[in-house]
Amino acid sequence: MVAEQERLRRTMMFVPGNNPSMVKDAGIYGADSIMFDLEDAVSLAEKDAARNLVYEALQTQDYGTAELVVRINGADTNFYTNDIKAMVKAGIDVIRLPKTESAAMIQQLEQDVLAAEKEFGRPIGSTHLMAAIESAKGVLNAPAIAAASSRMIGIALSAEDYTTDMKTHRYPDGAELEFARNMVLHAARAAGIAAFDTVFTDMNDTEGFYRETRYIHQLGFDGKSLVNPRQIPMVNQVYAPTHSEIDHAKSVLQAIQQAHAQGSGVAALDGQMIDRPVALRAQRVMKLAQASHIVDEEGNYLEK
Amino acid sequence: MEIKTTAVAGTVESSDIQIMLSAGHQGIQIELESDVEKVFGAQIRQTITTTLQQLGLSQVNVKAVDKGALDCVIKARTITAAQRACQTTDTPAWEVL
Amino acid sequence: MAKIVTLDLQNPDVLPVWQRLLQTLGLQNFTPAEVAHLDFTLGLYEDQQLVATASAAGNVIQYVGVNNEDQVSGSRFNTIISAVTNRLFQKQIFHIFVFTKPQYSRSFQHVGFHELTRSPQAAFLETGTPDVHDYLAQIPAFPAAVGATIAGIVMNANPFTWGHRYLIEQALQASDAVYVFVVNTDASLFTTAERQQLVEAGTADLKKVIVVNGGDYMVSYATFPAYFLPSTEATIQYQTTLDAQIFRDIIAPACHIKVRFVGTEPLSKTTGIYNQVLAEILPPQVALKVIDRKKDDQNHYVTATQVRQQIAAGQLDDLAFLVPPSTYQFIQRHAQELHQRIQKGQQIHGN
Repeated sequence: MVAEQERLRRTMMFVPGNNPSMVKDAGIYGADSIMFDLEDAVSLAEKDAARNLVYEALQTQDYGTAELVVRINGADTNFYTNDIKAMVKAGIDVIRLPKTESAAMIQQLEQDVLAAEKEFGRPIGSTHLMAAIESAKGVLNAPAIAAASSRMIGIALSAEDYTTDMKTHRYPDGAELEFARNMVLHAARAAGIAAFDTVFTDMNDTEGFYRETRYIHQLGFDGKSLVNPRQIPMVNQVYAPTHSEIDHAKSVLQAIQQAHAQGSGVAALDGQMIDRPVALRAQRVMKLAQASHIVDEEGNYLEK
Repeated sequence: MEIKTTAVAGTVESSDIQIMLSAGHQGIQIELESDVEKVFGAQIRQTITTTLQQLGLSQVNVKAVDKGALDCVIKARTITAAQRACQTTDTPAWEVL
Repeated sequence: MAKIVTLDLQNPDVLPVWQRLLQTLGLQNFTPAEVAHLDFTLGLYEDQQLVATASAAGNVIQYVGVNNEDQVSGSRFNTIISAVTNRLFQKQIFHIFVFTKPQYSRSFQHVGFHELTRSPQAAFLETGTPDVHDYLAQIPAFPAAVGATIAGIVMNANPFTWGHRYLIEQALQASDAVYVFVVNTDASLFTTAERQQLVEAGTADLKKVIVVNGGDYMVSYATFPAYFLPSTEATIQYQTTLDAQIFRDIIAPACHIKVRFVGTEPLSKTTGIYNQVLAEILPPQVALKVIDRKKDDQNHYVTATQVRQQIAAGQLDDLAFLVPPSTYQFIQRHAQELHQRIQKGQQIHGN
């Protein structure tokens, strides 16, 4: 009953696609996912330059175990097709579609990606997809979008465009995002994919950043999109499990192991059967603990 | 490919390289400005030359201002400048990337 | 977060912020006319603070100011210069100049500019292509047999008059051959192509005269903006110094020019200062010969200004006394068009 390993996606760091020093250094901050941006962070005149730069960097730079994502330009631009071709050829892990409003847009993207995989001899299905939700329509269609393709690994809320579409703007308490956050999160969970929260841009408001991160952690988001590497340890701190969570997770995993050793298909702890969600959560807690440098690979506590 | 206009890619910001290409008559001529010219000048020139050759360009004047760019950045900027100079930005030479 | 923005200097909220940055950096003696002439101005903002700026007019970068307080030296400078040059590249301008204080010359050289000349007040640099070497390479050479004493004249010729012709003839008498450089900047009643064509036509019978476009290096908007814009005397002084040094150190040696001829300048203050500066800067490397202006039979100076005024007034008949037949015919044929240009606001005063 060992569940498939789930990737940690606490932090998705945005990297402007035409900035060599940031593209070069993106791997050194320990982000779980790195998102190279070919869209909003790149001016119209530099779209070609950014695409080539990210492509060449992906060929040669070592980004460790980070999941590599690229935000392409939308299907309504002249850059969309070449962005897809270049990134598929480069072997990117995930293509992120901006301003997604319908499942049909993801299905179209899936076809375009498939064609590119064939053209460049990439393994079919190796390029995953994710959708950014940036409008009321996108939020209302989130469940269909999240389930639109087996390549989908996640769905993200982009609050700047969304709040504009909603005729509001961002407030410190985030009330204006409540519905969208819950829609996106539910869509992700129902489809079995990851949910990413929006960016927090005021680098001087550390307290506000912690408050928002704790809130989305409480809701159940996998993680948050980030614009500054300084935010990575802050998110990781919020997502770090407590010692009692870790102790419990270790007991659960030990009980499962014991059951295996005894040839039993059913594990129990303190008289309670360990079902799949409990096992999955225990695995996730240990993974978080390890990623947060609280325990080593064996699960032993590290000296501080 | 054929150079139709002068074109530039890249910036003079840290870790970048600015590459200006124009049509030439004496092979690939490279004028390089770099703080690390003594140590890496030859390598930078080599990367630019190889990339241009792969793109099928043999008569090019190159002016490059290097600010400590990695090889992959030099290659990317050279390709972008060449595509702009040849006006093939929308139909990239995928085999050369 | 650092952000590059376009500054609208017409906006009364923006202008003082921009001026304050430049003033704190010791840049303040510019006229409203010079500011109005800028094509665009960029600013680098960090935390809502303007920390760097640069502007461009044509292919000349101007008003570069970088606040380097508590800052890794050079990074803001490189960012703003990258932004302004990339904007120019997008406009298909690939040959770029900068006038700057001498102490900033090194910073520009670090980002690929080459210093053409410098004075205690200013340095003048260029980058991109075609550069000064390309310019010099396309100037035709006189055959070696022509003789050793080659003269140079720089003229706007707006349009070519008997006065210009007289100056060239005087130069030919005193030397073996003459280069005539026609001012390249297109800011006059007669276009650059027309002026060049009229100089060529008006000297077609003279062997040993080569007419060349002066490019960006002689009395151009790049080297000598004060020639085209109302400017202070100090500005004219320092710009003409650089212009004269470029002629002495770069143009003259490449073209083997030993002497430069100019006409006396009784009417224009700017040209008067220019001639004075040439006299100070050119010798001994290049001799300066000042030729008294030609006068017409009524003892009036022959000037292009006079010609333009008569075109404006529609008095074309007695123009033949002022300009050679080639220029005269051109004016006759294009009288209507020239008139329209004047009505559309083309200045006929000035140079």
